[in-house]
Amino acid sequence: MLSYFIKRVLAFIPTLIAASMLIFLFIHLIPGDPAAVLLGDTATPEDIAALTRELGLDEPIWRQYIHWFGGVIQGDLGQSLFFKTPVLSVIADGAETSLLLALMTMTWIVIFGVPIGILSATHHGTWIDQLTSGFAIFFASIPTFWLGLYLILFFAVGLGWFPSSGFPSISDDGGWRNLRYLLLPSLTLAAPNAALIIRLVRSSMLDVAKEDHVRTAKAKGLSPAKIAIKHVFRNALIAVAAAFGFTFAALISEAVVTETVFSLPGVGRLVVQSILRRDYPVIQGVILIIVLLYLSINLIVDLAYGWLDPRVSLQ
Amino acid sequence: MIDAIKNRAISIRRVFAGRKVAALGAIWLCIVLVAAVFAPWVAPFDPLEIDPVARLTEPGAPYLFGTDHFGRDTFSRALHGARMAILIGVGSVLIALILGGLVGMLSAYFTKLGHVLMRAVDVLMAFPALLLALVLMTLLERSVANTIIVIGLVYAATTSRILFGMTLKLKNDVFIDAARCSGAGHFSLLFRHILPNLLSPLLVQATFIFAFAQLQAAALDFLGLGLPPEVPSWGNMLSEERIYITRAPWLLLFPGLLIIFSVFSVNLVGDAMRDSLDPRFKDDIAGV
Amino acid sequence: MKVRSMFRVAVLAAAFGFGAAPAMADGMLRYATVGEPPSLDQHVLTSDLATTIAHHMFEGLYTFNAANAPVNLLAKGDSVSDDGKTITISLRDDVTFHDGQAMTSADVVASMQRWGEHGSRGPLLFGNVESIEASGDHEITIKMSAPFGPWKNLLAFINGGPAIYPASVMEGATKEPITPEQYIGTGPFKFSEWEPNRHVELVRFDEYASPEGEPDGYGGARKAEFDSIRFMPVPDVGTRVAGLQAGDYDYAESIPGDLYAEMEADANVKTILNGGPIFGLVFMNSKEGPLKDNFALRRAIQTAIDKTPALQVAIGPEGLWRANGSFLPEGNVWYTDSGADHFSKGDAEASKTMAAEAGYEGDPIKFMVSTNYPFHYDKAIVYTKQLAAAGFNIDLQVYDWATLIEKRAQPDQWDLFFTHHGFVPDPILISVMNDDYPGWWTTAEKADLKAKFTASSDPAERQAIWGEIQALIYDQVPTMKTGDVYTYNIASPKLNGLGDATLIWPHFWNVSK
Repeated sequence: MLSYFIKRVLAFIPTLIAASMLIFLFIHLIPGDPAAVLLGDTATPEDIAALTRELGLDEPIWRQYIHWFGGVIQGDLGQSLFFKTPVLSVIADGAETSLLLALMTMTWIVIFGVPIGILSATHHGTWIDQLTSGFAIFFASIPTFWLGLYLILFFAVGLGWFPSSGFPSISDDGGWRNLRYLLLPSLTLAAPNAALIIRLVRSSMLDVAKEDHVRTAKAKGLSPAKIAIKHVFRNALIAVAAAFGFTFAALISEAVVTETVFSLPGVGRLVVQSILRRDYPVIQGVILIIVLLYLSINLIVDLAYGWLDPRVSLQ
Repeated sequence: MIDAIKNRAISIRRVFAGRKVAALGAIWLCIVLVAAVFAPWVAPFDPLEIDPVARLTEPGAPYLFGTDHFGRDTFSRALHGARMAILIGVGSVLIALILGGLVGMLSAYFTKLGHVLMRAVDVLMAFPALLLALVLMTLLERSVANTIIVIGLVYAATTSRILFGMTLKLKNDVFIDAARCSGAGHFSLLFRHILPNLLSPLLVQATFIFAFAQLQAAALDFLGLGLPPEVPSWGNMLSEERIYITRAPWLLLFPGLLIIFSVFSVNLVGDAMRDSLDPRFKDDIAGV
Repeated sequence: MKVRSMFRVAVLAAAFGFGAAPAMADGMLRYATVGEPPSLDQHVLTSDLATTIAHHMFEGLYTFNAANAPVNLLAKGDSVSDDGKTITISLRDDVTFHDGQAMTSADVVASMQRWGEHGSRGPLLFGNVESIEASGDHEITIKMSAPFGPWKNLLAFINGGPAIYPASVMEGATKEPITPEQYIGTGPFKFSEWEPNRHVELVRFDEYASPEGEPDGYGGARKAEFDSIRFMPVPDVGTRVAGLQAGDYDYAESIPGDLYAEMEADANVKTILNGGPIFGLVFMNSKEGPLKDNFALRRAIQTAIDKTPALQVAIGPEGLWRANGSFLPEGNVWYTDSGADHFSKGDAEASKTMAAEAGYEGDPIKFMVSTNYPFHYDKAIVYTKQLAAAGFNIDLQVYDWATLIEKRAQPDQWDLFFTHHGFVPDPILISVMNDDYPGWWTTAEKADLKAKFTASSDPAERQAIWGEIQALIYDQVPTMKTGDVYTYNIASPKLNGLGDATLIWPHFWNVSK
């Protein structure tokens, strides 16, 4: 058991290093010159060359990588070429929006996804089941930006119920009430992702329902509703919890489009804007952190599985 | 052997029995396919023909779906967009299945090779799909081929994981052992004995990749990193005309609905096929 | 499910208190920008976005009145010697910087020197400056090697121009933009914070000493009514429009022409035209490739193009564009139709003949354009069609802006590229006049006329020379003007004090909510 834990943790490190190399390589192969972007229209070639030297962009790529990764290990992601501030603080500014958006989206997914999943599992095979999974699939088939544009049009411009875009920090005037800025974006993001959870809740409940202890409960004469909630759902929850982990990590990056439509200052839009500005350190930093988050959640889920179900660690 | 394949294979009748909506979806997909094939002959206008006088014309004769801000016919563009949709779908499915399938099967079959290959897949899988596609598209030039390759590559990683798992399950199955004992070589075992058993789940996986690829391509188009802007694709039509959402609502409505109907149909068909799959593989297939 | 989900949304929304008035007090102006500028340092940046923000906190010696004539801002008066070589400028003595220091001639000299050496437009003036020194606590003297006509226009144009910073900030400052901690100016608003990705915030400067006189353009008295101004990046234009309609922003810039009628009709929206038009330019490569010095071939390309359909497609309603061949708009002192009859011939047959005579044999011509500016792309699509109809083999290459500006610096990468130009008060500031600007137009004829143009300080003579230069541009075709575009912004009708049009950049002193 312990060796399984150690093995998994050790596998994590080379994956992260390989991923960091890949990120660095990709980013530096992107055409476009950050110095030229920064200096603007009237810059002379000499100005651009000078700034390129100053930014260290004329060094061989492997040396730039070593320099960068050396900093990363010490928690220093470098300086944003565009903002001239530490990358970590630029990302931290965006993290608030991204995390709150992901959390709120997860809330919708739980509120809508779990009951609907239970409903379709308990009515397995009936028209209710067909209808709910039909709806789930339908919402997963809408391009998020399209949905977002129409939600803004109807609920923000038309009805004036919600703000259309932007997100003032919750530490700003308005405090927690600023979360209303995230209502439409989180619904937009929840629509396609709820389907996945609905399906998972449904299928894992159906699987668990076949297991022995549930049959025993049935034999004991417990009511179907009680069985569904007490035995089936609780066990199915483990599988679903794992799926939530992945969904959460995926939401942070999937939000690229949503954050663009709703003009939210999150890390997703930061990536897109930084690509346009060729702000290499920021792009690298954001992607590295998302990858780290992704891998960590992966690892935690794996370890939790190993702990909950010892059979896994023997494989 | 042949019988075994037949039993596991998907029969059209079984898939659509009692699933009228999925059957409707299949019919819609056939329409899209026909439109895609015959677009150049069916389309009333050249999809690239600019006409400043007719710009932003409301739907009606002769412009069935109205015109965009270049004065181009939206209906003709939508027909040609069906071409792009099929091209992107089929292209990225082929890349994902062939590349991902090979990596997954070989990794499961040859354990040592698998160690190396699956670690590489782990690294790719550490990148969220859209982010990876975004960075790769910035790096390459915007083109139809690159969009297909990038989306295919992103889903190749997922596919290889799935195929890896499924091949592992089959590898020690009785009938594989039997074939091995009767002297079948590696190649024959992999491609004559294991692969045929995986064709049905692969087909289901293909439908889901097809659907994801549509949404992914539309998202890339929206971010200005997908197909070249002059290509008439549904995603580009939405992206290019999105400021006209109130001024000329048809420009967002028609391409948007086409994407939704098509992705919905593919997903429904895939979902129906998955339900008639071998239970051993059902949970391996990702998708909605 | 749909109905129920909507119901739940409504209940939850109520819980969050959406009904309450927006938390932002009336003392804040929320401005939706197209993006974020790389810096606000006016000396080295020519970005219009940077100036829109920065001219609230930085001021120059002069500024422009509504007629685009330079008027005093930090200067009190000036005199020029008879030979035109010595300029004496007296400064106002009541001006304090945001850090509380009083402004003196030392600050002005330090700022002018840094701008003259490292600023974007400074070397243009300083090529003729022999010395600049403080001739009193509130007086400076500039000695020139030759008279330089456009000196006051250059000093008044704050975009890439001589904003006055404290001497302490100028110490050791070079080409590298100054940092936000160094954003210390004399304007009615002062720098508060820059939250990357979120906003740039300026707050009212309570000790501001205003120039006197009736407000006239950027001139006259300035009063900061707002407590603060937030410039928020909203790159998606649809979101800017929706956000203003929904009341989330008070002002939004750069709105597409096609929405103009709709915005005009909307009672929740006030439209504000931008005073000076911007104009698209298609530059030709004078350093390498088939167009290098083949002026006949360039004229063939120019003749093939009809600018009007491109303007219709890219901008929309008439009134927001003008197929105008003069580099500066009608009504401006620099307006001239010299050479402009070649502006928009749209004659494919004539072009074919001209191209054949110029020896064109169907070699591909690389045309670079960026999708980051939709009107560039839209026009380029129309031109490509027109050029193809005249037998040109155009290889249209679509890039994002960052890639395009990298490629255009490399002469072997392109033959034509699309860009645009903002309104400038003096033609000397137009990019094609700059020998280093990609395209590298450096013919002897140009050098000759340019020298005459800057040496003269007689307005009538300068206007005549500019006419000759414009005719030369239509003859040698270093660039093709694509027509004037009147961009517009939208504002909440609650704002008081906004004019119907901006002069160059919107300004929010003397504006309240």
